[in-house]
Amino acid sequence: MSKATNNMTNQKAVSPQEKAAFFAEFNNGLHRIGRITLVLAVIMLVSVPFIVGAMNGVMPDMKGFLKGFATVGLIYIPVAIVEFLVYTPMLGVGGSYLSFITGNVTNMKIPCVMNAKDIAKTEAGTPEHEIVSTISVAVSAITTTLVIVAGVILLVPLQPILQAEALLPAFNNVVPALFGALGLKYFLKSPQIAVVPLVLMSVLCIAVPAAISQTSLLLIPSGGLALLIGYLLFKKGKL
Amino acid sequence: MNSYLASVNAGYFYGIVALVLAFITGMCLIFCVKSYRAGVAIGMEEKALRKVITSSVMFTLLPSISILLGVIALSGTLGVPLSWLRLSVIGALQYELNVAEIAAQGVGLSGLNLAELNIGAFVTIALVMTVGILGGVFCCIFFLKKYMNKLQGGNNQDATQDENKEKKPSFGAHATTAMFVGLCAAYIGSYIGKVMPGGGSDWMPLFVAGVAAACMAVFEYLIQKKQYLALENFSLAASMLVAMAAAVLVNLAI
Repeated sequence: MSKATNNMTNQKAVSPQEKAAFFAEFNNGLHRIGRITLVLAVIMLVSVPFIVGAMNGVMPDMKGFLKGFATVGLIYIPVAIVEFLVYTPMLGVGGSYLSFITGNVTNMKIPCVMNAKDIAKTEAGTPEHEIVSTISVAVSAITTTLVIVAGVILLVPLQPILQAEALLPAFNNVVPALFGALGLKYFLKSPQIAVVPLVLMSVLCIAVPAAISQTSLLLIPSGGLALLIGYLLFKKGKL
Repeated sequence: MNSYLASVNAGYFYGIVALVLAFITGMCLIFCVKSYRAGVAIGMEEKALRKVITSSVMFTLLPSISILLGVIALSGTLGVPLSWLRLSVIGALQYELNVAEIAAQGVGLSGLNLAELNIGAFVTIALVMTVGILGGVFCCIFFLKKYMNKLQGGNNQDATQDENKEKKPSFGAHATTAMFVGLCAAYIGSYIGKVMPGGGSDWMPLFVAGVAAACMAVFEYLIQKKQYLALENFSLAASMLVAMAAAVLVNLAI
């Protein structure tokens, strides 16, 4: 065990062998609970649209679902695999199960774990780090849930204001607002990747106006092109 | 209130969401308690563990408020309960909105437009949003144990070798950035196309995107150059809300 890790442990209590055996058993327990609870959570989450549909006498349109999912899957399944491979070593076993079900992994859970690791002075791969990261992710998720619950309670009485006719342009333009802000952030991050897809997509939408309403299809060539340019730049060592 | 908004903000829907979130919060509590006890059992100081808890609460408070702003942004079109659920579990604002837009087009709408949305389209959109984000969860269910065992085994066997071996940089992190650059390029390109007479001469989406980008540029300047790092958590949601407010003001003015 490292000097840093020793700082936060009481050395009288456990021998390294006992600790290793205990930790292996502890991790197996986390895997067992993690898998069971994740499966149950997935069932609950997927049931929600069906329950709401049943309450209103409608069901999800499977053709529309498959059409939407084909595009979404193409973009987000590779992202999910990359995130899984990159982030789980930082999050540890318990932290990974919790982070991937509670979300906001990159913008909240990873920084929170890094912060907790710095405070507790643990090193990745040690039992202490595993414990600290699980606690920090769990506490972070609970805190977020409570803050949002409080916000939602406050939001309910504001419903009539939020649904006022005058606010319609705001909510009808929530997607452009997102991609304007996000676009600037990502374009600044990788301007050499951004130029070609941005120019090509703009020219395409000006030349073929019918393409404008098919943004979900445009994402595929645009994303593919950006990936290709990124890969070529990476190979040349220019990223 | 129109019938669509009444349906997506129904009381029972809040109850369902509360139930799902209670389950996931319970899961977090179990992991937290188990880990805390394990920490004590292997000799970690309780004082240090409590410090981790306090610092994690403090660290999360501000970003959580920014997620709440995201709930407000989403709630106008998808209602409060679904926005609450989607931003409390798995997703993040940028994912949810993008997927909702793609799913809306999948069911034949022009996009997330209140005038076109109906409860049938809503449940399909909600299903695409839910299933589309499950990739990471399925990876955890099926591969986490094997992957972590491999990593931990590898760490033990190759510890000395790894210390001497230089890490090869991978394209993985760049791939995600490139993918998002392509995604943003497609949307911004479509807003530029909309301004043209052939695209309907609708300049509002490009205007809103421009205001959001300008606002984000200010945030980026303050974060990168002036080191106001706390703003990072708010930059996206705040830029969006400013741009959305600008849309309302411009619409009132013209």
